[in-house]
Amino acid sequence: MHIAHLTLTNVRSFRRLDLALEPGRHVIAGDNAQGKSNLLEAVQMLATARTLRGGTDLDVISWPAVEEDPLPVARLEAAVQTAQGKRTLEIAVIAQETPPGMRPTRASRRFRVNGVARRASDLIGQLRVVMFSADDLEIIAGAPAVRRRYLDITLSQFDGAYLRALQRYGRVLEQRNSLLRKLQERRGRPDELDFWDDELASTGALIAQRRADAIRALARDAAERYAELAPSEAEDLAICYVPRLPPAVAEAIREHDLADRLRATLVEERREDILRGVTRWGPHRDDVQFLIGGRHAGNSASRGQQRTAALALRLAEVELSTRRSGDAPVLLLDDILSELDPARRERILQVAYGVDQVLITTPDEDRPSREEMPDAVRYRLAEGILTRQ
Amino acid sequence: MSPIQRLVDAFHRLPGIGPKSAQRLAYHVLRAPVEEARDLAEALLHVKESIVLCARCQNVTDRSPCRICADTSRERTVICVVEEPLDVVAIDRTGGYRGLYHVLHGVVSPSDGIGPEDLKIEELLRRLRDVDTEVTEIIVATNPNLQGEATSMYLARLLRPLGLKVTRLARGLPAGADLEYADDVTLGRAMEYRQEV
Repeated sequence: MHIAHLTLTNVRSFRRLDLALEPGRHVIAGDNAQGKSNLLEAVQMLATARTLRGGTDLDVISWPAVEEDPLPVARLEAAVQTAQGKRTLEIAVIAQETPPGMRPTRASRRFRVNGVARRASDLIGQLRVVMFSADDLEIIAGAPAVRRRYLDITLSQFDGAYLRALQRYGRVLEQRNSLLRKLQERRGRPDELDFWDDELASTGALIAQRRADAIRALARDAAERYAELAPSEAEDLAICYVPRLPPAVAEAIREHDLADRLRATLVEERREDILRGVTRWGPHRDDVQFLIGGRHAGNSASRGQQRTAALALRLAEVELSTRRSGDAPVLLLDDILSELDPARRERILQVAYGVDQVLITTPDEDRPSREEMPDAVRYRLAEGILTRQ
Repeated sequence: MSPIQRLVDAFHRLPGIGPKSAQRLAYHVLRAPVEEARDLAEALLHVKESIVLCARCQNVTDRSPCRICADTSRERTVICVVEEPLDVVAIDRTGGYRGLYHVLHGVVSPSDGIGPEDLKIEELLRRLRDVDTEVTEIIVATNPNLQGEATSMYLARLLRPLGLKVTRLARGLPAGADLEYADDVTLGRAMEYRQEV
């Protein structure tokens, strides 16, 4: 798939960006703080419907618009060409209405697919991207929540059932935890938990099984990519799923009756859950282990090894996304080439020639150089204005 | 606080009224003849003073039992359980249902602090335990969302032991819909709950 047209209005540093894109490789050069990352993050937002980098919805809207416009709105639009045809995606981030003179403090998002108002879940996956950035190190070295977020964003793009289960699971979990706290105060009756346990078990089982499948595929491919990227290294990369389930249930993760087993766990553990006022078992507490040479990559691998592992994971993700949906995702390389040695850069550029479209940002016009990427369309980004070279 | 601001704030507290609409409404009242303002104020007070909950179905009414409960031409064997009074209006407008109603005044939602004991469920059970009851079926017409489903399951488990048939509204495509524009969940449900033609 590829993005045929991208329009950003009042998005972060862009007052207006109107860009017709062809398949192929696009290199966007610019000094720091000119909005290179904003551009790729806007594309990622069109794919995932998520506000990025821990910012709020309001942060998506450019500051001049928030300060000056009577009704500040950021608009992100893309026309996407896939094997199945063309589709248009649109996200509008609308600042909350405030009395004159008051600055808005919140914003909300509206989604459209092919011009029709839709929910976020209908937009997600219409455009698939894999973004490589320096932040990827956090997947290896950061907290478990970062890894769950990584899995959710990755899987949601090509697995609609996973996305729906995930959204429902989140709502059910919130309700169940509220009920647990109420029961903790000896109000209500424990059998009020029945419905929430059923729902948590059926959605939770689906989430755990899809995660297990995806991680198995990612682990196999990432191990191979790691060995290729670091040929001189004796240690290997292993990735394992650590589901938050009792061992006997975790062993049965591939069984069709996982939901029944998870439900039984939730019922058995009710007393303890009520005591603590929180649901202790289920995929909301999952983790993924990255092991290099059999040791935890997060705390015992070198920075270089962690970086290679993150790169290998992203490369495996490209393969998984391609295999699961029939065509390759759009690659977004956010300033990662300049810090790689020539052999690794070579490997990434190889992958960049295996997909339909790649958007690359770089502070250094010569990374990738014209020799490395002779056919690339080159742009210069300065003060929010993109100029084709 | 100025009298105008007090009125603006009062309108702003109403559901669906933003700050701008509240201002517009307040200035409309300000410009309108005094009779119109008095009429509005009296209507507001009157509705609070004269409206009660029907002792049987818990719907809002100006007399108890309400018109529907008192209507002898209606079927007494079936009760349709709804979340809010407006749902009664919506279902009755269809003309396809001639049974009785029961209004829960909410749905089970622990995160909003609403449990079964906060709904008019005890009142429903009292109706069903009445020696004169002719009810054989309960139609649960809560909304097809998580809280609505939780409420419906809770009711079903409570009512089935009483030997009642408990049914749920069908889920699927809205009338006049275009398949192409239906979302995955709705279409999936419609497929799951398909009927023989």
